[in-house]
Amino acid sequence: MQNSIPFTGKKVRTSRRFRSGLRKSWIPFAFLLPALGLYAVFFVYPFIFALGLSFQSWNMISPDKTFVGLANYRHLLHDEVFWISLKNSGLYVLLTVPLAMAIGLVLALLVESLWRGKRLYRLIFFLPVVSSIGVISIVWSLMYNPQVGAINVLLRMFGIEGPNWLNDPSMALWALAIVGIWKGFGYNMVLYISGLKSIDRGLYEAASIDGAGRWRQFRNVTLPLLSPVTFFILVMSIISSFQAFATIQIMTKGGPNNATNVLVYQIYQEAFQFFNIGVATASSVILLLIVGLLTVIQLRMSNKMVHYQ
Amino acid sequence: MFRLYRKLRLVEEGSKHILLIAFALLSLIPIFWMLATSFKDPQEVFAGHLFWSNAFNLDGYLQVFREIPFSVWAWNSTVVGVLQTLGQLIVGVAAAFAFAHYRFPGRDALFFFVLITMMIPPQVTMVPTYMIVGELGWLNSFTGVIVPHLASGYAIFLLRQSFMTVPRELGDAAVIDGCSPFGTMWHVYLRLSMSAISALTVILFVGNWNDFHWPLLVLSDKSMQTLPVAFVQFREEESLEWVPTMAVATLSMLPILLLYLAAQKNFIEGFKNSGLKG
Repeated sequence: MQNSIPFTGKKVRTSRRFRSGLRKSWIPFAFLLPALGLYAVFFVYPFIFALGLSFQSWNMISPDKTFVGLANYRHLLHDEVFWISLKNSGLYVLLTVPLAMAIGLVLALLVESLWRGKRLYRLIFFLPVVSSIGVISIVWSLMYNPQVGAINVLLRMFGIEGPNWLNDPSMALWALAIVGIWKGFGYNMVLYISGLKSIDRGLYEAASIDGAGRWRQFRNVTLPLLSPVTFFILVMSIISSFQAFATIQIMTKGGPNNATNVLVYQIYQEAFQFFNIGVATASSVILLLIVGLLTVIQLRMSNKMVHYQ
Repeated sequence: MFRLYRKLRLVEEGSKHILLIAFALLSLIPIFWMLATSFKDPQEVFAGHLFWSNAFNLDGYLQVFREIPFSVWAWNSTVVGVLQTLGQLIVGVAAAFAFAHYRFPGRDALFFFVLITMMIPPQVTMVPTYMIVGELGWLNSFTGVIVPHLASGYAIFLLRQSFMTVPRELGDAAVIDGCSPFGTMWHVYLRLSMSAISALTVILFVGNWNDFHWPLLVLSDKSMQTLPVAFVQFREEESLEWVPTMAVATLSMLPILLLYLAAQKNFIEGFKNSGLKG
């Protein structure tokens, strides 16, 4: 720091307090200390610890851990339940993410173009987002009751005999995906609305002067300019839908016959039901690799696909 | 010509409302159904009506207050929710202030690290964290639920975003006027970010109140459990009837719904400041 007024060369004497206020570099670290300390104990250390545990065999109770190298990973590769849970996780993401995004976008476009009632619709559609996932899972599990649950009663009104949702292996994952979509679309809608608000109105005027109809305006103005929001929602939704746990734990326990056993639930079972800590942490490292890989791929793609104004 | 145009606009607006109302009703079915079932007669549940009910029956609610330790669960949830939110705000404000006000070596790398923590699935660190909490003797205590989550990446990120909008000159002026670092944080940054902070408070509280996975692992004692966890276990063990189940569900959702309705503007706006530039 030069203690002189710029361009005049005049020396200025600054008070010691002022200098120290700008110079003492330990001050920001003092403010960061609580966060960094907590991260060290509850994030960095467990993270390294988990990596280590994934190469060990241990049951959480006995004092001795044995180093087993890659045996846990090998065990997983030969474990049928692991593959089923991996497939189910992927399926769940494919079922929930695109639908919740599409519904969010359509609702955002509809609500944003209204003359009146914008706030009320926003309020209603955001309600599922703030509802407690634990409590709502219980409500949904009763709704899926094949005889008197709301879903099948509603279908019966239209003359459709609904399935036995949670006990039918071909329907159970769909049933959970519906809850996931119900919980998530409102969040996407709010993000899309804020994206729509930030688009310059003049662009639409210019497009319509150039003779672009509504569909062309949507294709060539709205969608490209929403791409940063779309990208953000996509990354976030994939990460969070990989972590769906409460609905599965409460509604199906991974059943029937592992039809809804996803990777996160399989990790929970291995760790807290079978006490195979090594296998559970190895599985969680694989989860991390998958989520990390998907995020990197998306970041790469976004450089090509995302348009900023 | 102009009249026709206006008519078309009205028709369009009307049809949009019809679509939206239909979808709103569809998405509110779980909430309506929960409410309707909680007031039903136990026999009526199995008549297979959607919402329609002969009786307006309070037995479910009376049963909750008679036989279910609901107030204990609600108290536990409140304690955990309030303390965790306060702690996250204190830790978050201090860290965000350091990131926004100072320049120091490694600042950007550290902030990137905070973002990374949000990306890592919590399941990866869950087992070791559970063991650390066990070593510290915090299993089955509120401390064990709260402390591991006090450094919230989301809180630090959002607070930094909002502190960055405070003009640098103001912060520097406070320092020149002899304000201590803490005073600068308190009088300049906090004062100017109150709306963002209140939005974040609501968001964090709702998240903490609704958290399920971690409290389920840590709290084994029934008298210690938070609402969602205790409710789920109670239902499984006591094979609770439908009507009281829905009464408990309604009562569990009520505080959050009221908070949401009271602070909805804050809440929805808060999500928008996630630094998305369209």
